[in-house]
Amino acid sequence: MKLVVDRSRCEGHGLCEAVAPDLLRVDDGFATPVHDGDVPADQQDAAHSAVEMCPIAALRTA
Amino acid sequence: MTTTTTIPRSDIDPYSDASILSPYEDYRRLRDLGPVVWLETHQVFAVARYREVYDALHDHTTFSSGSGVGLTETLNKAQKGSSFTSDPPYHDYVRGLVARHLKPKALEQFHDYIEGWAARLVDELIEKGTFDAVTDFAQAFPLAVVPDLLGWPVEEGKERLLEWATAGFNAFGPLNDRTKAGFPLLKEMSDFLQRMSIPGNLRPDSWGAQLVSDAKDGKIEEYLLPGLLGDFLAPSMDTSVSALSSMLWLLGSHPGQWDQIRADESLIPKAFNEIIRIESPLRGFTRLVTRERELGGLTLEPDARVLLLYGSANRDERHWTDPDTFDIHRPGVAQHVGFGHGIHGCVGQALSRLEGHSLLKALSTRVRSIEIGEPTWRLHNTIRGIASLPVTLRT
Ligand code: HEM
Ligand code: SF4
Repeated sequence: MKLVVDRSRCEGHGLCEAVAPDLLRVDDGFATPVHDGDVPADQQDAAHSAVEMCPIAALRTA
Repeated sequence: MTTTTTIPRSDIDPYSDASILSPYEDYRRLRDLGPVVWLETHQVFAVARYREVYDALHDHTTFSSGSGVGLTETLNKAQKGSSFTSDPPYHDYVRGLVARHLKPKALEQFHDYIEGWAARLVDELIEKGTFDAVTDFAQAFPLAVVPDLLGWPVEEGKERLLEWATAGFNAFGPLNDRTKAGFPLLKEMSDFLQRMSIPGNLRPDSWGAQLVSDAKDGKIEEYLLPGLLGDFLAPSMDTSVSALSSMLWLLGSHPGQWDQIRADESLIPKAFNEIIRIESPLRGFTRLVTRERELGGLTLEPDARVLLLYGSANRDERHWTDPDTFDIHRPGVAQHVGFGHGIHGCVGQALSRLEGHSLLKALSTRVRSIEIGEPTWRLHNTIRGIASLPVTLRT
């Protein structure tokens, strides 16, 4: 599973980083997934929470 | 799994005076009736549970905003062109023009200005003794900050702005007396926005002036300007006023939790989210269904209008534990839909948070107790909020 940030939507609200700090970093106003977006097996729930949490649907799994 | 084939019906009228003044029991009844309920009085479907509101907001192709987000088709026709009332790709384009100024990163440069403003306001109110939570506290902030950043000309009075915004948001409800009373005001606001769209009328270097000069350079179509300027003004007033007055009411009536905030500033962001959750300022907006779709096991047909009740979703006992209890430690509170969610999720939420957090910080460093009287509530079609509340701040 991969985490993908839609750069045209992301406004840097940072709620994703707050629930999945090991998966995303908000830097310079955008969320960037760490390890190229690859989600480790033990972090799948955190990835789904981050997607649910983004207030403006800028984040998805693929 | 059981599937229900018929959608329950109800004669509950969320726009009646009684329901507006005391909405939460009606919301509970709607949630208990089913995931989707036909409202006989307004001929629309109400969605009152958290899960289904969230799902609808995250399927913007089926649940479209492009033909308006208000209750009646007549009024929806008059409100086209803003971020609220558009679908992608146009939506993403106009939202981007507003968001470039309102995203957290862009607002960083205003932190000191807004915190300084908040500190001065709280100092004045401590000095003043007893004051009104709405006119002296909650209205002061959005009226001072947003128009100033937008470039409001100093010689233009701001006293009409609140009335315009109130009229604009009433018109998202039914065509009742409240809405009709606002028509002359809407005309005034529209004339004002037209005037502000003429180059030179907004303060140079402001957010608004930048939009106007972008239009002059051909980067934005000129006819969009009034709507874009309006996106900063109308939705930033009554929503913020409601949140900030509820803030004083809730913290004044929960002194134990106020003491905890005073002892630990890091509780402020959660406390602000909990205020928006339990007294959601924007009660609900609608969407138009564009294709057959199941929601909560019930089938919606194309062209159905659905009313998404954010204020009810935020108190859904299926999602929240003890939803009617104010709890600044509530787990997962940031999942509330008080700012909406999905592609139309509030573009002003970072600014609202900055306002709310700055005021909470200014209060928590100075004020030992918030003494409150009895609140009265506003009669408004789409805004839930206090009409007046006497407050005294003790240091
Ligand atoms: C506590 C204060 C606020 C609350 C509770 C609030 C609530 C909301 C909600 C629920 C929506 C979603 C509408 C929908 O689902 O169709 C929304 C959208 C929006 N808000 Fe706010 N709002 C607040 C403050 C502000 C401020 C300060 C601004 C501007 C400076 C603003 C500008 C907007 C705009 C332009 C949209 C439409 C975004 C879009 O459709 O993409 N709001 N707001
Ligand atoms: S929560 Fe959404 S908008 Fe905010 S930083 Fe994460 S991806 Fe971007």
